[in-house]
Amino acid sequence: MKEYNIVITGVGGQGVLTAANILGWAALHAGYKVRLGEVHGMSQRFGSVISYVRFGEDVYGSMVPEGKADVMLSFEPVEALRYVNYLKEGGMIVVNTKPIVPVQVSMGMASYPSLKEIRKVFEKDFKAKWIGFNAEELAEQAGHVVTTNTVLIGALTQIPEFPLDAEHVREVIKISVPPKAVDMNMKAFDLGIKAAKEILEL
Amino acid sequence: MAKVSDIVLWDKPGERVLLLGNQAIARGALEANIAVYAAYPGTPSSELTDTMAIVSKKAGVYMEYSTNEKVAFETALSAAWSGLRAMTAMKHVGLNVAADTFMSAVGMGVEGGFVIMVADDPSMWSSQNEQDTRVYAKFANVPVLEPISPHEAKEMTKYAFELSEKFKHFVILRTTTRTSHARGDVVLGELPEEIKQGKKKFGKFKKDSSRFVDVPSNARRFHPQILEKIEKIREELNNCPFNWIEGKEDAKVGIIAPGLSYAYVKEALAWLGIEDVKILKLGTPFPVPYGLLEKFFDGLERVLIVEELEPVVEEQVKTWAFDKKLNIEIKGKELVPRIYEMTTRRAVTAIAKFLGLKTPINFEELDKKYEKVKPLLPPRPPSLCPACPHRNSFYAIKKATGGKAVYPSDIGCYTLGLLPPLKTVDTTVAMGASIGIAHGLSIAQNGSLSEEQQSPEKQVVVATIGDSTFYHTGLPALANAIYNRSNVLIVVLDNLVTAMTGDQPNPSTGQTPHGMGKRIPIEDVAKAMGADFVAVVDPYDIKATYETVKKALEVEGVSVIVSRQVCALHRIGQMRRRGEKWPIYYVNEDKCTGCRICINAYGCPAIYWDEEKRQARVEPTMCWGCGGCAQVCPFGAFEPMKEGEQ
Ligand code: SF4
Ligand code: SF4
Repeated sequence: MKEYNIVITGVGGQGVLTAANILGWAALHAGYKVRLGEVHGMSQRFGSVISYVRFGEDVYGSMVPEGKADVMLSFEPVEALRYVNYLKEGGMIVVNTKPIVPVQVSMGMASYPSLKEIRKVFEKDFKAKWIGFNAEELAEQAGHVVTTNTVLIGALTQIPEFPLDAEHVREVIKISVPPKAVDMNMKAFDLGIKAAKEILEL
Repeated sequence: MAKVSDIVLWDKPGERVLLLGNQAIARGALEANIAVYAAYPGTPSSELTDTMAIVSKKAGVYMEYSTNEKVAFETALSAAWSGLRAMTAMKHVGLNVAADTFMSAVGMGVEGGFVIMVADDPSMWSSQNEQDTRVYAKFANVPVLEPISPHEAKEMTKYAFELSEKFKHFVILRTTTRTSHARGDVVLGELPEEIKQGKKKFGKFKKDSSRFVDVPSNARRFHPQILEKIEKIREELNNCPFNWIEGKEDAKVGIIAPGLSYAYVKEALAWLGIEDVKILKLGTPFPVPYGLLEKFFDGLERVLIVEELEPVVEEQVKTWAFDKKLNIEIKGKELVPRIYEMTTRRAVTAIAKFLGLKTPINFEELDKKYEKVKPLLPPRPPSLCPACPHRNSFYAIKKATGGKAVYPSDIGCYTLGLLPPLKTVDTTVAMGASIGIAHGLSIAQNGSLSEEQQSPEKQVVVATIGDSTFYHTGLPALANAIYNRSNVLIVVLDNLVTAMTGDQPNPSTGQTPHGMGKRIPIEDVAKAMGADFVAVVDPYDIKATYETVKKALEVEGVSVIVSRQVCALHRIGQMRRRGEKWPIYYVNEDKCTGCRICINAYGCPAIYWDEEKRQARVEPTMCWGCGGCAQVCPFGAFEPMKEGEQ
């Protein structure tokens, strides 16, 4: 495989970097050349963030160019929409549908688009396949909202032709979370897999 | 996924690991047997320093968080004078702070290898300006190395030490955000025995006043020596392993790609499906080795220089070609933007244009499609964390001044106080500048208390500055304001860490990476300097903070309030690690009248507006339990949840 490009988007503090790191290590274990690009500092304080995961035989820069992401993994719907231009035509979007409302919206200075509107842009204008579900709810089922991350990564491993083996990814998660939290995260991972399967079968 | 601190010290040569560019540099420094490391944190350089802080004890390396870049520079430089390998790191603007020593000491050279890591931030992701350190390097006649990947960053670090030692000259290792904050596969090399055993190395300074005292007679001798050295280094770099020519040997078209631009060029060429080119990959944008240029230009008819920011390589190449009377078309900044960071899209577009081709994606069309999306997007700028003590300080300051003061501020998380609803930041310029600017504003608008005449209309000036920034360059400015008698209130937002760059300690924290520094309370400094009013408050007590600000505003002269409460992100991080819980607040629906004060005046990001009920709500996953909302709400609607409800 020449290259595979993932962009991960969300709100600073949601665990975007952690998710990228887990996928990066899984790709490294699979023998690929790996590049991750991320944002630090100012932009992390509850601002909008994007990070890039690239692997394959021919990867150079750490940023995915616009129009070249095979898949987007998003922790928040508006933050998915903000970076929709990174997705290639016919790409996939795995998205947590639970919104985080920006302060500007609460103050009445801006409005938050409906989920329907967001989905329409992905499906109609960008011809993407939408895999959206409330990952936070599933994370709570698994034991704690902090596993939202893991739920989403689980779902990601199910998309067609995803080059990393779900079990490899699972192994990386196992050794990267605190020992106490392993069971909970494994449960979250499975719930994510299940959710994606259900949507993909529709 | 092993812990980074373990990986950086792993004695496993040949192992492939995933490291952040900055961590890879730390590993490179260890592989090079570094002895002393000193730096002030600054994005995007901070993780290098943080990694050194974590591994230094085990590796027998002396490491410190200095109070500013100049001090750090001097610490490391002295070690290099003593024959040790030493390193300092900073962000691009940090080099401005260190520039005085940098420019003056370069002629003295070094004994042990001395590497200055400077992390530039093209596109200014978290910086106050966009500056190209390669220009500084050229200015000072110091060679600069620029890696294309985390692995190369590690290798280059080792090479930089060797180069520095060989020529007894400074060497700059320059990264950009995209190398410092890129993660990539790195192959570990050998660690020296001393590092493996954690054996501390000591140096010896040999006195030589003809070298280490920069009186004019010596400095006059230095300058020609520097110029001679840099030409010798230019020669040497013909054989630098990070410079090479690749691609089609008999191609008519060539591309010069310095530093990370090489990665974008490679990707762009693959994307465009072009093979009929020759590439000069330049790991040393200054000085450009002429021998290599000679080889590269042989047979070429047209050359494009794909370079990020300033035309540093372009100017050297064009001058060289002009002197050689070469009749070759050389293009650079005509096709490659001079501002913001390089991207594959930019490289593709420039190369396509140069060759008269179409880009593989119709970017204009993509932009048009995206333009339609933009109006749907609510802004989401970074904001002060939930429970951030700064929010309370700003809130109290604004209330006490009725929003009518001028608010100079500084570089740190608190710069975010500029955003609505707080809007209590009117200026930020550079580290430590808030106090100097406040003083100047007060002098200009009110006059000095040492003068007979003052303005009849008093302009209130309230400056805010962080603890780390205060010790960075706030100190001399404070001395100046007190001495020259302006009328300002300086609120030091003391959260006991350097929060924005990732919780590094400073003199107000007291702790060092070794555990046992000595704490310097800011109020003691202010008192010792002779401030006219000094007080300490806890910003979690909003009323008390408000009253103290009121009181300080009554005082003529320089008042200093230390608003002290530990950084919320830092506190929550520690509590999480210990498995501790914190109170979570909720809105009592019977009490909330929908006045929106908590949102429109206070603005904790955990509080949002429930459109249906027309009431405020707290997002429980974001509340960090400071209770600020409960103090701000006039109807007492915020209450802590009881244990078990959470
Ligand atoms: S990191 Fe600390 S200082 Fe910065 S915004 Fe968060 S709580 Fe405030
Ligand atoms: S207690 Fe109130 S102000 Fe503090 S973090 Fe929670 S919601 Fe925000």
